[in-house]
Amino acid sequence: MADSAPPTADTAPLKDASRLDPIDYAVISQGLIAAAREMGAKLIRSAYSTIVREAGDASAALLDRDGNVVAQAELIPMQLGPMAGTFRACADLYPLETLERGDFYVNNDPFQGGQHLQDVFLYSPIFVDGEIVGFAGTVAHHLDLGGGNPGLNATAADVHAEGFIFPPSKYNFESDWNGGPLERLVAANVRVPSQTIGDFNAQFAANAIGAHRVEQLCRKYGADVIKATMQELMNYSERRFRAALAEIPDGVFYGEDAVDDDGISDQPLTVKTKVTITGETVAIDFDGTCKQVSRNLNCPISSTVSAALSCVKSVLTSPDIPFNEGVKRPITITAPAGSLLNPTYPAPVRARMEAAYRAFNAVMKALSLVVPEKVISGGHDTTTVTAISHLGDTGYRVYLEVFGGGYGASAHQDGCDAVDSPLSNCSNAPLEATDMDFDHFRITGYGLLRDSCGHGKFRGGLGIHRRYEILKDDVNFAIYADRFRIAPYGLFGGTDGSRGRCEIERDGEIIQIRSKDGLMLRKGDVLKLYTSGGAGYGQAAERDPNLVSRDVAQGYLSDETARAAYPHAF
Amino acid sequence: MRVGVEVGGTFTDLVAIGPSGVRIAKVPSVPASPDEGAFNALIESAIPFESIEDLAHGSTVATNAVLERKGYPIAFVTTRGFKDILALQRHNRTNIYDLEYHKPTPVVDRKNSFEVDERMLPDGTVAAALDAAAVERDLVPALSVGGYAAIAVCLLNAYANPEHEEALRDLLARHLPAVLVTLSSEVTREFREFERASTTTLSAYVQPVIDRYIGRFGARLAENGFAGRFSVMQSNGGRLPAENMRRNAIMALLSGPAAGVVGAARQAGRSGVENLITLDMGGTSTDVCLVEDGTPGITNEFLIDNLPIRTPVLDINTVGAGGGSLIWIDEGGMLRAGPESAGADPGPACYCRGGTQPTVTDAHLVRNTIRREAFLGGKMDIDPDAARAAFRTLAGRLGMSVEEIADSAIRIANANIIRAIQIITTQRGKDPRDYAMVAFGGAGPLHAAQVADDLGVHTILVPPNAGVISAFGLLAADHIQYESMTRRFMLDRDAPRAIAEVYGEMRARALAKFEHIGRRENLSLILIADMRFVGQAFEVPVEIEPAELDDLTVERLREIFAAAHQRIFFHGAAGDKPIEAVSFRLRVTLPVGSLPVLRETHEYRIPETVIEIFDDRHRHACTVMSRGALEPATAVAGPALFEDPTSTIFVPLGWSAEADAHENLILRKG
Repeated sequence: MADSAPPTADTAPLKDASRLDPIDYAVISQGLIAAAREMGAKLIRSAYSTIVREAGDASAALLDRDGNVVAQAELIPMQLGPMAGTFRACADLYPLETLERGDFYVNNDPFQGGQHLQDVFLYSPIFVDGEIVGFAGTVAHHLDLGGGNPGLNATAADVHAEGFIFPPSKYNFESDWNGGPLERLVAANVRVPSQTIGDFNAQFAANAIGAHRVEQLCRKYGADVIKATMQELMNYSERRFRAALAEIPDGVFYGEDAVDDDGISDQPLTVKTKVTITGETVAIDFDGTCKQVSRNLNCPISSTVSAALSCVKSVLTSPDIPFNEGVKRPITITAPAGSLLNPTYPAPVRARMEAAYRAFNAVMKALSLVVPEKVISGGHDTTTVTAISHLGDTGYRVYLEVFGGGYGASAHQDGCDAVDSPLSNCSNAPLEATDMDFDHFRITGYGLLRDSCGHGKFRGGLGIHRRYEILKDDVNFAIYADRFRIAPYGLFGGTDGSRGRCEIERDGEIIQIRSKDGLMLRKGDVLKLYTSGGAGYGQAAERDPNLVSRDVAQGYLSDETARAAYPHAF
Repeated sequence: MRVGVEVGGTFTDLVAIGPSGVRIAKVPSVPASPDEGAFNALIESAIPFESIEDLAHGSTVATNAVLERKGYPIAFVTTRGFKDILALQRHNRTNIYDLEYHKPTPVVDRKNSFEVDERMLPDGTVAAALDAAAVERDLVPALSVGGYAAIAVCLLNAYANPEHEEALRDLLARHLPAVLVTLSSEVTREFREFERASTTTLSAYVQPVIDRYIGRFGARLAENGFAGRFSVMQSNGGRLPAENMRRNAIMALLSGPAAGVVGAARQAGRSGVENLITLDMGGTSTDVCLVEDGTPGITNEFLIDNLPIRTPVLDINTVGAGGGSLIWIDEGGMLRAGPESAGADPGPACYCRGGTQPTVTDAHLVRNTIRREAFLGGKMDIDPDAARAAFRTLAGRLGMSVEEIADSAIRIANANIIRAIQIITTQRGKDPRDYAMVAFGGAGPLHAAQVADDLGVHTILVPPNAGVISAFGLLAADHIQYESMTRRFMLDRDAPRAIAEVYGEMRARALAKFEHIGRRENLSLILIADMRFVGQAFEVPVEIEPAELDDLTVERLREIFAAAHQRIFFHGAAGDKPIEAVSFRLRVTLPVGSLPVLRETHEYRIPETVIEIFDDRHRHACTVMSRGALEPATAVAGPALFEDPTSTIFVPLGWSAEADAHENLILRKG
């Protein structure tokens, strides 16, 4: 990441903001954040695919006219980092002066600011009296964008096999979308056009809502006041972030973790980091990380930046600091070109989350050396994606769902059970929604996975189990996951969490599935998935015996496991 | 005589309106048995029970049962494979950067969750029949040893076909006749199993509490010779006959705050104030709600203790800031106010009932913005020395004077209230400056001006007898009954007829429920159809006028849906995408008729005097007078304190106050 040294909030005090009436500032800044939230909420509520409308795999933001993110709907941490980068790649090619009403930027290119192809970024300019005051931007995870397999191509040899690339470009909603050539081009290249086009329309609508709210604010307070407020919002976050950084000791700290394997060999993919804290700045470098791989586990630099940033923000600052471009100013994040965390074209990148999580874990481990009270142990920390698709009489049916597991424990409490992992925030699809939408499988079990946590003074959160009955032949199953081989790590004496696994029951036989795999399923097959529990924190001998009894009474732990891990409680 | 009795966390209020005028009473609540407080208020008011023709009641019984987890032990039963629905929830986090995130705690533990063999499909057909033998063999014995007061049943896809839930209820009723059974299909017929299960378990949790409470209350009323109509406030701002509430307990959650909003909106409406922010500050908490065009906002998606509820409720935001909120210093050395409260017992330190920690009320007493001789119209003695003593330790730790720390505590409590108001205004794209504030509750009028100042609100309306406006709201509320039904079909040529049928069925059910109120005239009905484009998951509510039903066409339906979709989502008006109707709600309102008039109690008089108060870091000379002594069209400049038997109104420096023709006190900035 090319990070020049931007002026800090302290050296460049609030020139514009000093004119701001404090009540105006409070109202407008909240108004901008509210507008971003409204965009996110309405994007999800008017979307068509289960991955957006039920799982909520989408984000929204308002940007200033230079593409700095000012306010975000805090939905998915991973999607919040790359807004500025994907925007600038477009603005460099199509400068603001060339934009007209109805124009929009689009970009999903992993090598030009994007992450994986499924996350498509759209930006609409906000015009007030003929002048652009900012942009409304949204990103949604699209269910299927073509590529070598419905929803997920586990064996893609390059990025082209993963779907449709939108290079940074500019189009016009009226002439190119809305029944126009771009919409038809996209519809012709995806497997479930009604859902994909519906989700794009939800993104356009959310952008329109954001633009409308900002226009309203401009009419009421004046565009100059709005622009000044945007700058002050970023300065505010920057000031608070710097204050948090200044509080911790300077030093250089190292951490590492690894992805299980690349889906072909059994060789772990190592991620290494060096975290340097100097005054109120922090530099994170991933030198020493393994080379990029031939399968889809490569993590584009913008994903690496998002992961490291999310870790630092979560550990060092209170959750109420608004996340915007100001937060990025005191931080530098770099990774060597050609490595797993900064791959070069045409590397496949679909499953980039696994390496992104290890970057998150490596930074967390480094920080555990300086702020042990603020970190958590290793958790499920994995994106476990299953795609179960079928080509029936009425066309393709693509089911895609993302599963979490247990959070790692902290110095103060047990990890959260059965929740999506720190870099993501997908909801589960209601079973009743899945039942309504798909008839090629049925979910027949979903619950907390007993005994899956690591132990300690505080235990990790529990993982989950899921059970699917396959109702038709020729059902296509693909998965990418992790922590099947390398368990979540305990800290300060806590034990490791459990490993995940996936298996198919077929004619009384069990077929073990690898963490990155795919195969055709038959009617009568039963698919079972188990995700990892989080690791413990601190010595198990220090655990409150009352908590052990509670865990047994509620069935979180079996009696045998509890006796083995916590003999002092019996 | 029409009587409203409202049981709050700290005080129980009564407003009676009859031919001879307004009578009010305010007595301490009895948290362990709320009906005790209610009867104390009735006795205090000296109204003969026989003369009461209409008794409306509101209480925090249900809410407190959830917040304090004081309900009876209940069990949860669902489809085999899914007993963890309540623990799994939606698998997301409400704060994405919180590494120590924790999910809200359901009202049923995992060990009290059970499964039955069955599977219904979304089209209402049966994939696996309910295994009745297994229910009798395994489930019934397990439930009977559990000592459960109620059982919540939520089976998968029961919204589409409730047969299995109903069969299970019949089986359980036969074997466990003493246990109340609550079915998800009766509480809310909407898909999404976690939200429906959450609503059902909350309803089951409060069901025994409400059932016993209303049963006891009704019996005691009858013993005392009461023969009038007994109705109870619902969370949606309407009343329901008490008997109906016994079977519909979920509607009792938040009934107390709802009454306040209705009362405030009605009373402000008399002065022509239609767009307002209600600020209801009582002993334990503050409730705020946005009212636009005289109508309080309604939401179908509400959280109590962070658990979802899917029934229509007034869109009220609550924060733990009240007169009884404890003032304390946190581990970071920061001064805090609430959310813990000293409640009614022991209450603030100044009550001298054993409370030693300072509260917001104690802070006012120290600042002199509450006067000992005027508290509750002088009916309750409080001790300023005890209030000062309670603050002394905190003052020492922070190196401040007792007055300074009391003043800071008030500002901190106000900051909490301001954030609560920002959530319902600025966070939703509304500018608080476009609204008037209506302040009520025992402490609302004391805090309103400073809160308004920080939000930029420049007009405050304080209704007469502001401390008991919730009890007035009970009398001012219409009777409201909701019916709901899930019936999914395409908007095609048959749709108008199907909608008319649905409407007819729901109307008949609703009218039957109004039967024993004895009045069916002037009923106003609204049909709301939840529709969406095929493929979407969230519906848009579309209002259909009953008058329009006879000549409804598919074109007209498309038109009103598209307009509603466009208004909310900024797209959808154009095109011919298929549309489906998913569920229907019928709201039946029986208007309250002539609105009782709330007036100030003019008999209450204190001599006008000037005292010294400590406010906003400074000492001020402050006028004190009784509210009823203020002449119409005479503005009084702050600092001033107006006292009435139910609350004290504080007008700070820079504000002025004037009574209007409807006896509302209007505070203005500048």
